[in-house]
Amino acid sequence: MATVTDLTGAAVVWAPADPGIVRSVADNPGPHDAETLIRALYAEHGRSLLAYATRLTGDRAAAEDVVQETLLRAWKHADDLTSGRGSVRGWLLTVARNLVTDRARARAVRPTEVADVVDRPPVTGDHSESVVNTMVVMDALDKVSPEHREVLVQLYYRGRSVAEAAKELGVPPGTVKSRSYYALRALRAVMAGKAAEVSHE
Amino acid sequence: MSEHDRTELGAYALGALEPAEVAAVDEHLATCAECRAELAELTEMKEFLGEVPPEAFLEGPPEGGDLLLQRTLREVREPQVEVPPKRRSRWLLIAAAFVVVAGALGGGVVLGRSTAPDPDQPVAGSKQVTTTDTTTGASMAATVEPRAGWSWVRVNVSGLKAGDQCEMVITDKSGARWVAGSWLVSEKAAKGGSAFGGGVLVPPDQVRSVEIRTVQGKHVVTATI
Repeated sequence: MATVTDLTGAAVVWAPADPGIVRSVADNPGPHDAETLIRALYAEHGRSLLAYATRLTGDRAAAEDVVQETLLRAWKHADDLTSGRGSVRGWLLTVARNLVTDRARARAVRPTEVADVVDRPPVTGDHSESVVNTMVVMDALDKVSPEHREVLVQLYYRGRSVAEAAKELGVPPGTVKSRSYYALRALRAVMAGKAAEVSHE
Repeated sequence: MSEHDRTELGAYALGALEPAEVAAVDEHLATCAECRAELAELTEMKEFLGEVPPEAFLEGPPEGGDLLLQRTLREVREPQVEVPPKRRSRWLLIAAAFVVVAGALGGGVVLGRSTAPDPDQPVAGSKQVTTTDTTTGASMAATVEPRAGWSWVRVNVSGLKAGDQCEMVITDKSGARWVAGSWLVSEKAAKGGSAFGGGVLVPPDQVRSVEIRTVQGKHVVTATI
């Protein structure tokens, strides 16, 4: 677990998606915490996780297994979730993707029966060489204003045109354009801040 | 775009402009190094956005019931659950880790469970089946637990309506039908899944199917064991 902290700690600043969930675990350890944590994560992130895992695996049943294992790992690594580092959703999505990768790899080269799931922190492996990762960008997106995030979701993640986004958001097209510009600038400023933290380390 | 209008560049980088607007920006970029530099920075941000999948912006629980949640919670409650041999090594590893973590989180859980028999925990030799009825849309996880010469059947059904009066019907391999209890679906159970258990005087290896239906005779879902 120390590795997780080391790897992500340098680059990630805490922006809790829902501080309430996480805090309840840290402040109030008790018999129902595991269940409370998993229920809360499922209620908030379940749809996102399952949709992502379904796209990656192309198979609903396999995707459900991935989501289940992701939630179990979240419980197992509750300390990391509560330590104030990284967005919870970014963590979950990264773990889900790594599980899918592991499974694909295990299928491709299946040696003798080994304990094939060596638990590893979510940010290592194939993505260690990349400068940014899901968690860092999720965090950056958490830190820009809701208006900026919304316009990026519309134009980038939903693939809408300026005209479509303007209609969706109820603002003039000119506003969509300027907002998307300032949103990318704001994102860059947040990312630059992170880079400064990293180089400072 | 004849003069610097940088606010166009964001939408341009994100590919959200109309063709005519794109052409105008292109024309300006061809003559303006400053805007080209700016665009390069914005494009880099667009690439970073690609690290986050579009699904990251979906909210709430998955659609279609919470069988998946129930299954996951079962793993948490029952670290020693029986598993098919193929997956055993992995789950034992995870189960072992759970004991450690649960111990750290709240010592009482694991200790308490290991010293007292847990009525919720399926016994060795249990059979579990998960199924969805495509007509009624109801899903069910059914567990048949062996007892001495009879069976204890637990179900968790999602897709029921509050106020539904349900009964659990067991069909054995001779074709005989046994009602293993009936219940009323609460508001909460309609949302979060309805859990029910009942005993039936059929040996576990003779249980062919578990059907949930309303006492009015409407079929809900059947699991073949």
